[in-house]
Amino acid sequence: MSRTKLGLWSVAALLFLVAPLGLGAFWQFIAIEALVFALYAMSFNLLLGYGGMLSFGHAAYFGLGAYGVGILMAKLSAPFWLALLAAPVVAAVSAAAVGYFSVRLTGIYFAMLTFAFQMLFFTVALKATVLTGGDDGIVGLTRPGILVDPAVYYLFVLFITALAIGLLYRMVNAPFGQTLRAIRDNARRVQHLGVHTRAHCWLTFVIAGAFAGLAGGLFALSTGSVFPGWLDWTASATPIVMAVLGGLRVFAGPIAGAFVFVGLETVISGHTEYWPLFMGTIIIALVLLLPGGILGTRSGRVGH
Amino acid sequence: MSVTESRPDDAAVPEPLLRIEALGKRFGGLVALDNVTIRLQPGEFRAVIGPNGAGKSTLFNTLTGLHRPDLGRVFLSGTEVTGRTPHALARLGVGRTFQITSVFSALTSLENVQIALLAHSGRSWNVLAWARSMQVTQARALLDLVGLRDRESQLAGTLAHGDQKRLELAIALATEPKLLLLDEPTAGMAARERLESIALVHRIAREIGLTVIFTEHDMAVVFAVASAITVLHQGRVLAEGLPEEVRANPVVHDVYLGETPSDYAAEQERA
Repeated sequence: MSRTKLGLWSVAALLFLVAPLGLGAFWQFIAIEALVFALYAMSFNLLLGYGGMLSFGHAAYFGLGAYGVGILMAKLSAPFWLALLAAPVVAAVSAAAVGYFSVRLTGIYFAMLTFAFQMLFFTVALKATVLTGGDDGIVGLTRPGILVDPAVYYLFVLFITALAIGLLYRMVNAPFGQTLRAIRDNARRVQHLGVHTRAHCWLTFVIAGAFAGLAGGLFALSTGSVFPGWLDWTASATPIVMAVLGGLRVFAGPIAGAFVFVGLETVISGHTEYWPLFMGTIIIALVLLLPGGILGTRSGRVGH
Repeated sequence: MSVTESRPDDAAVPEPLLRIEALGKRFGGLVALDNVTIRLQPGEFRAVIGPNGAGKSTLFNTLTGLHRPDLGRVFLSGTEVTGRTPHALARLGVGRTFQITSVFSALTSLENVQIALLAHSGRSWNVLAWARSMQVTQARALLDLVGLRDRESQLAGTLAHGDQKRLELAIALATEPKLLLLDEPTAGMAARERLESIALVHRIAREIGLTVIFTEHDMAVVFAVASAITVLHQGRVLAEGLPEEVRANPVVHDVYLGETPSDYAAEQERA
């Protein structure tokens, strides 16, 4: 990493650490949402930006992580820490099953299969009322005493997401990530170098699912609730928009995308009920003006 | 899959590096390979020629695991490898390049070679090491070998066509193959560049004792480097032998070497 980059990351880290603490509980909640969605969009971009796999069902793993936390705490009275730990595990196990079938396909067929599995999970969440509360979802999840204060929970989420994103950074710059990029560029070539490309993509799918599940779990514990809408197909568009908006080919792109998206949504929806109209217009403008994303470069190169 | 050790019929002949026994492959009603038997001794630089649709690509794709043969067996240094997957064959020492140049265009030349080296050393799964500093010396040596050392930080997609072909060669060599299959290594090059390019491969193969099998349309290229030639026609081996033998073979002359432009056009239509 260059010195300038290190400096920028340090400034960003300092801002993340102190800025929200001076704000009220509402903005602290929004900041938590932005962090969680940043991690969610990053996990999605591991698939799309690095692996060239456009999943149209990534919300499944965010939602499953959230439901994992919700069901464990509300129905099985599991402690907070166990529930939070279970979120990425539940999502990873589900992603392993879905990925096993999905990575056999590519392009639009891969997208459709991930989408179909997501609809399956959505239907289960809606119908298995005993466990999931059906349409009403699960509410009333509480954090342990020390984390009740939104400011403290913000710092907790910041710590976890920073750790997770740091881990993702290591992964994409490790042989695993380099090989993944090579598969994106030319899967057949990589295959003939002796790499089991399908297994490589499958592992990527599982890792992406695990991080999405962690994000979902953290978000459920922020709102204290889980709703089936989080598993709905429209929810899968969110990380796509965030990643594209921020820049698919830059490591930190999805973070920027998530913050801009959540920020815009919060500000505009506070002023008008027609906020999706304004959101849509602004996103179209940004995508047209900055084709490589907010942090993107024109060279189209995946940043290091 | 069981690994069958098998010896050639004639005990006086050393075990070939590659032994293809009565290979057959159909696509629906089309017989792409019909009873193809080829033996390749270590160190050979074998050309496979034939009109379009003769089965050259099918042969290569079957040998590298993209197609499963319907009939016949393939042995690599005496070990049966029939029907293995591409990555398994690559790990057994079968390398290849592609007719349409296959490099990783969004990565630098150095990274392209590094990925191949990491795959070969079984490190592709490593999730925590810094890939950038791994096997750099070896990668540079390979770029040196193909004359691309000064292009190491250029994105592969921005290299000239000939340079991409050379990079692809470096990628293939990085996996230290026992057998290298080159599918039309000079496709898309100017006549002069073709001879230079194949001479480079030929020299490297000699230096490191690599066995090569390649397909080629340019007869000047074939006769310049091939140690032996196999002629395929309609999925069958029509002739095989030293270059001068093949050149003198009247049957080969009829169907291929002496073909008139109109014959060639007819072949194209059939293919």
